[in-house]
Amino acid sequence: MGYRQRHAIPDLGVGVGLRTPHVAHVLRDGPPMDWFEIISENYFADGGIQRANLERAAAAYRLIPHGVSLSIGGTDPIDPGYLARLRALVSRVRAPWCSDHLCWTGSGKVDVHDLLPLPYNPETLSHVIDRVRRVQDELQVPFALENASSYMEFEASTMPEHEFLAELSERADCGILLDVNNVFVSAYNHGFDAEAYVDAIPADRVLQIHLAGHTHKGLYLLDTHSDHVRPEVLDLYRRALRRCGSVSTLVEWDESIPSWDVLSGEAAVARSVRDEVLGATSKEAAWGASA
Amino acid sequence: MGSLRLDEVQALLVGAVMHPAQLDADAAPPASALLRPSARGMTRASRLEVYREQFWIRHLASLTEDFSTLRWVVGERAFDELLRGYLQAYPPRGWNLQRLGADVPEFVASSAPWSADPLAGDAALLDWAFMEVFDAPDAPPLDLRVVAAAPPDAWPQARIAFLPALRRVVTGHAVHELRAAVKKGEECQRPLAAPTHAVVWRDAACFLHAVAVDPVAGELMRALLDGTRLGEACASVAAAHPAVDAETFDANVGQWFQQWTANGWVCAVDI
Ligand SMILES: [Fe+2]
Repeated sequence: MGYRQRHAIPDLGVGVGLRTPHVAHVLRDGPPMDWFEIISENYFADGGIQRANLERAAAAYRLIPHGVSLSIGGTDPIDPGYLARLRALVSRVRAPWCSDHLCWTGSGKVDVHDLLPLPYNPETLSHVIDRVRRVQDELQVPFALENASSYMEFEASTMPEHEFLAELSERADCGILLDVNNVFVSAYNHGFDAEAYVDAIPADRVLQIHLAGHTHKGLYLLDTHSDHVRPEVLDLYRRALRRCGSVSTLVEWDESIPSWDVLSGEAAVARSVRDEVLGATSKEAAWGASA
Repeated sequence: MGSLRLDEVQALLVGAVMHPAQLDADAAPPASALLRPSARGMTRASRLEVYREQFWIRHLASLTEDFSTLRWVVGERAFDELLRGYLQAYPPRGWNLQRLGADVPEFVASSAPWSADPLAGDAALLDWAFMEVFDAPDAPPLDLRVVAAAPPDAWPQARIAFLPALRRVVTGHAVHELRAAVKKGEECQRPLAAPTHAVVWRDAACFLHAVAVDPVAGELMRALLDGTRLGEACASVAAAHPAVDAETFDANVGQWFQQWTANGWVCAVDI
């Protein structure tokens, strides 16, 4: 039995990231949207407007926490306070899973608040597997790691990223959040084959797909989440859907955030691609799970 | 470099990512030896530079949003220099970007040339108080029945609890008025020195406010915030102001308490 089926992971349809400029509209008018992703750390506080908004949003929509600061590949000990807050958030919004990135964010107690890549080799793999297991034991919901965009590669890497991620997910028994824009960006930056990457990811472990826009900087692509999803990335999305089947999809837009209409239009584009590839299968139906 | 442990690799990279000046082939940090040049012709150092540039963009933007009054006081260009100095003296720690500026008041008060301008120190204190009350823990509202039912002779023993999302800020300028004007985008003038006790708080609807309070009321709040019982707190503050007669002082305390509860500042009375 595949990972998604084993954990009864629902297909939530196509959602967008819940971001500050749209919160008032979403809470007041309740516009149609299949689901929202929230940045976990923004909702860790014990009080204030973010927490109040979270309660209201959770009453009206399905919310999935997505973190940026766990530092699963870091070498500082995992912060137990961080994990406790994440677990509390997951239970507050009754999330069927949560996610973070395959990366590290700091060292020696300094946090650079970025998603830094790892050297992909057997030593790093054992290190990350061990940390994923500990995190999963603590969280008690399925946990997925996202492939991050990257701009550097290590001399000490002995395997491609997709192989590292595939082996990590199998051995640590975790999910994968496949960001097809990040695959596209990193493929350009490092000169690997994006389609081969998508083809090598264990399809049944993909709990969620990310789509986003990026910025061309000449010698490299920068993962800015500041624009429409590129047609080439939608092609990669089609390929991922053909492999993975009926999987929740999320459009990320974090800079130069457009109007709600433009953002929900971007989700509609992704929805039509899904329908075209999967047929108009209803969300939630794929594994007989309920939201 | 191939034999380095992962923690050593990461320590080297953090140093390069936080480097204050641009990295290129001529200024390649030791960490660049860990990397491969890109298939598209980027050097090792220029690949690291992508991360270094983002480090500064991200943290400067975050602090700029958090310290709008301080920014106005020192001016845009000097503010950028101040923040760069701050981030080198106090590298970001922990996941919480909301806490990135926690040491800005200390840095401004103790580092030249910023420490020479008391208004800058006041602005940093006030801006940080706003950051703290923004997401401080919620508290249930005061149960007025407890207050109404308390026998008069029990009050001296009472402990007054203020909102977790409330800060007292003692400054040499009415910097809360400056902040309000800066936030509204109004034409501002440097305020003259004016010792001020301000209270910054988040109300039940999550709006943030700051008002000046009577300095003596501010002193009483400080004692109460420290956990001193009401009777003892009043006695010590009254002793510091012998010119005010006892009857007036008691009447003032009654009035202040009414104001505090009307503003929603008091969340519990342990009586
Ligand atoms: Fe993503």
